[in-house]
Amino acid sequence: MIADEATLSRLMASAQNGDKAAYNVLLSEAGMWLERYFRRRVPPHQLDDLVQDVMLALHNKRASYDPTRPFLPWLSAIARYRWVDHLRKVYKHEADLLEDGDAFEDSEEDVVEARVSLERLFVHLPEKQAEVIELVKIEGRSIREASEATGQSESLVKVNIHRGLKKLSALVEKAD
Amino acid sequence: MNTSRENIIAALTEDLAPVKRFATRDGLLLIVGATALALAASVAIHGFWFGMFEGQASGFFWITNGLLLMLGGASGLAVVTSASPRVGPRPNSPGWSTAMLAIIPAAALITFFAGGHEHDGALVDGATALCTRSSLFAALAIAAASVWWLRKGAPVSPERSGWLVGIASGALGTFAYGITCPVDSLTHMGLWHVVPVAIAAVIGRLAVPPLIRW
Repeated sequence: MIADEATLSRLMASAQNGDKAAYNVLLSEAGMWLERYFRRRVPPHQLDDLVQDVMLALHNKRASYDPTRPFLPWLSAIARYRWVDHLRKVYKHEADLLEDGDAFEDSEEDVVEARVSLERLFVHLPEKQAEVIELVKIEGRSIREASEATGQSESLVKVNIHRGLKKLSALVEKAD
Repeated sequence: MNTSRENIIAALTEDLAPVKRFATRDGLLLIVGATALALAASVAIHGFWFGMFEGQASGFFWITNGLLLMLGGASGLAVVTSASPRVGPRPNSPGWSTAMLAIIPAAALITFFAGGHEHDGALVDGATALCTRSSLFAALAIAAASVWWLRKGAPVSPERSGWLVGIASGALGTFAYGITCPVDSLTHMGLWHVVPVAIAAVIGRLAVPPLIRW
C-alpha cells in the first residue's frame, strides 16, 4: 500500500535534509505510485525504464520540492513531463522509421510496440485522419489506394494525412 | 520490486546529500538584481533623465513605465514559480497584465489614425531604433538570470516558461531603459516602449525551451 500524502511530504522534506532512511522509504513508495501511474500510459516492457527515469529526475530535482505543498502533485508533474518526453522520442523514432521506409525491416516486437504507441495517440484524431494515416503511413498503400478504400478524394487524403501528423506532433509536444 | 529498481533506489539513497530548497524569494531577488543591473547599465550609457522629477515627463511616461513594471513583476514571479513542478491551473496575472499594457499601443494607434485629434509624435521617430535596441539589450540581463534560475529548477512546461521569460525580460528591460528616455509622447511610448516586449516574448518562446529542457 502506498503511504498517504502527509507521510510522503514528510519523508521528502526529511530527504531534502539528507535523511537516507526516509529517502529509501520514499523512493520505494514513489516507485509503486509511478508504476501505477504509467501502467495505462506505456507498453508494459517500457514501464520500468520510465519509472526509473522519473526516480532519477526526482533525485536530481529534489531541491525544487516545496514542503509546504503536497508531494504527489509535484511527483505527478515530473512524471507527466518525463512521459511526454518519452512519447516525443518514441514518436520521432517511429516517424524516422516510416520516412526511411525501414519499418518492414524491424523486428516483430518493434512493430507491435510502435502500433501500441500509435493506437494510444490515434484516439485523439478524427476518424478520417487516423484512417488514412494508417493506410498510407503504416500499411504503405498509395494515396490512390487509400482514396479508393476510404471514399475520400486524393487531395483530401493528403490534407488529412498532413493535418493528422501535425496534430500528433502537437499532442506529444504539448506539455502543460 | 525488481532487482534493477532496488539497485537504483540503493544507489540514489547512497548518493543523497542535503540540498538547499528552492525559495520563491531567492528567485525574485535574482530577477530584481538583474533588473537593477540593467537599470544601472542603462543610466550609465544613456544618462539619468532628471526631467522626470521636474515635471517634464508626461502622464504617458508614468503610465507606460508603471504598466511595464507591473507586467515585469507579474511575469517575473510566474517565471520563478514555474521552476517548481506542479499540476493544475496557475494564476494568469501575466496574461491580464499584458492585456492592460496592450491598451497603450491601441490608444496610440487609435489616436494617431483618428487624425485631427491632438496626437503627438510620428509613428516612427528618430528614437525608434535606439529605444527598441536598448530595451532588448537591457532585457538580456533579465533573460539570462531567468534562464539560469529555470535551469537550476525543474520547469515542466518549457513553452510556457519561454513565453514568460520573454515577456518578463522584455517588460523589465524596457522599463530599465525606458526611465532614461525623454521622448514621452503617447505614440512613442505606446509603440516603441511596448514593441520590444512583443519581440522579446517571441524570442523567448523560440529560444528558451531548448535551453531549459531537462
